Amino acid sequence: MMKEYFEELENGLQTAIDNNQGSIRMLYSLEIARLGKRLYSGEDKVAWCGIIAPFDLLSALDVTSCFVEFIGAMMAATNVAGDLIEETNHIGYSSDSCSYHRAVMGATMKELMPKPELLIGTTCPCSGGLAVIENLAAHFEKSFYLLQIPQDQAPKNVRYLADQMREMVSFVTKITGIPMDTEKVKFAMETSNKIREVLIEIFNLAKQVPSPVTGKDLSNFGIVMALFSGTESGLALAEAFRDELKQRSQNLTASGSNEKFRLLWIQNRIQFKNPIEKLLEDQYGAKIVIDELNDVTWGAVDPDDPYEGLASRAISIPFNGPAQNRVQHLQRLAEEYQVHGAINPCNWGCRQGTGSRGLIEASLKEIGVPVLNLEVDCIDHKKFTEGQFRTRVEAFMEMMDS
Amino acid sequence: MYYLGIDIGSLSCDSVLINDDETVLATSVVPTGARNKESIARATEETLRAASIEKKDVKAIVSTGYGRDRVEDRLSSVTEITCHARGIRAMLPDTRVLIDIGGQDSKSILLGEDGKVVDFAMNDKCAAGTGRFLEAMARALQVDIDEMGELDANAQGGLSISSICTVFAESEVVSLIADGTQVSEIVRGINNSIAFRTLSLVKRVAMKPDGFAIAMSGGVARNTGVVSAISAALGDINVSVPELPDTIGALGAALIAREKSA
Ligand code: SF4
Repeated sequence: MMKEYFEELENGLQTAIDNNQGSIRMLYSLEIARLGKRLYSGEDKVAWCGIIAPFDLLSALDVTSCFVEFIGAMMAATNVAGDLIEETNHIGYSSDSCSYHRAVMGATMKELMPKPELLIGTTCPCSGGLAVIENLAAHFEKSFYLLQIPQDQAPKNVRYLADQMREMVSFVTKITGIPMDTEKVKFAMETSNKIREVLIEIFNLAKQVPSPVTGKDLSNFGIVMALFSGTESGLALAEAFRDELKQRSQNLTASGSNEKFRLLWIQNRIQFKNPIEKLLEDQYGAKIVIDELNDVTWGAVDPDDPYEGLASRAISIPFNGPAQNRVQHLQRLAEEYQVHGAINPCNWGCRQGTGSRGLIEASLKEIGVPVLNLEVDCIDHKKFTEGQFRTRVEAFMEMMDS
Repeated sequence: MYYLGIDIGSLSCDSVLINDDETVLATSVVPTGARNKESIARATEETLRAASIEKKDVKAIVSTGYGRDRVEDRLSSVTEITCHARGIRAMLPDTRVLIDIGGQDSKSILLGEDGKVVDFAMNDKCAAGTGRFLEAMARALQVDIDEMGELDANAQGGLSISSICTVFAESEVVSLIADGTQVSEIVRGINNSIAFRTLSLVKRVAMKPDGFAIAMSGGVARNTGVVSAISAALGDINVSVPELPDTIGALGAALIAREKSA
């Protein structure tokens, strides 16, 4: 079922793009469809991973890898997550645990998760994701390797994680039977570095006032681009975004903009169809110009000896370490993007996010940025009550507009 | 010219008519029922009749409440947060923290010195501590909801309803009745439970609410027992209740209608 879904999605998007009806967002969806197709092809060597696994390195090792939460988001986008989530009540998942993970476990029970060759867990950003990796490893009777992500960039920590990554390569090559090709790894790292440069350009364009982005353009962008890192198609996609935004930026200068409010979106977007971006833009001239996860927090990786660089990249993700990392990162983004307000969906069941909610709110208010804390399950559309949601969002905008 | 504010809540549909001097000419509160278009029409009609005004003389209508988009001939719709803030400013201008307990929503609103909304918090997807909660408890106790204030006044206190969920609280109340607990004590327990929920909402907008003038609007504000329980929970801070507390949202909407059509 999922294989056909991704094939149809790919064909539909490709036709639209060929007929010159494609937007940059369509190119992005096309890449997602292609990844989905590969995951479900039954031909690729698949690795289910934690969110901050080194996807470029895995791709250079001929492994099609993906973080499990991606499937949760896909299930939400196709409105099937709700039923899958209910399935997990039977296997001991608490109803107040994160729906990304529950959707994945429900999909597994319904045999909608492709069988992996191996699994790579990461201790960051949350223990829920790691538990899913462990559950999947047990379910599919496959081995998993755990990357223990240290909490800060102390040189010994970077070395510690780099050594784990080296060990991970041995683990992967032993299972796949494909030896590591150093030239391939070098190429992947060079490509990742190029993508990194382009991402910086994209985010700098988004920072402009008025911003050339629409509220939807960069939704989930940073986190999903990690899946395409190290690949030529990922680079082409990033370049398409940059070129389009550059073009728009020039047009904006000429034609002006109706941008009235600039918003920061905290953590992940709501993954099922919902009215927020349209409501904000049409009714209030408000645009989400920056998402918490759309940032480049790492340096270039040495293509000839990538492990230290990859380790440092993983450690640099602001979700890693104490809540202060997130707090300071969000303050910096709010200032750099000159936002007027921030929206935190407070994804239901997110232990990572809910614990920091008060600290984030206080720190943004401190720099004059009001915060709207919603209580949304970003995956389960069945729990979504549009009226309540609208009232909160509209009241927040009225408050800023008064 | 005249301006009409309509607040379509889950339990009642309230309307307020004002003139250019912002004087309230008439108000009405009708049950929302299953068809809110009919209740909107009824509330409008009753208000206009009470003021002897014809609809054609109404220059602008602003709607609010969860059914705000159902009012067809509105100038605009505005959320209940903004409308309650605007309404309370007109009635009790010093208010800095407003507690509004409606049918299915409760909210706390922090107002700036200029009366503008600075922050707000709303109850999450649950009816605990709202008008619906109170209604369910009155039903379980088989008392009229309007009697609850008086019953509370006769209670010694000390009892608390520990369940937050409306359904569980209802069965807790039934068990207390079965145990022979006095109705007035149960009513006090219910009010304390609402006050407890409300306190956390207030603290979300004003960690230290003392020093702020606090007011309460919404139908539940007519229940003196709830108001004094909230006041006690806040540390004996006075909670002011305006005249006709259930029409504050509609009043705010009427005032906004006047401003917008100026
Ligand atoms: S929403 Fe929170 S709990 Fe869920 S995957 Fe993300 S970090 Fe983990």
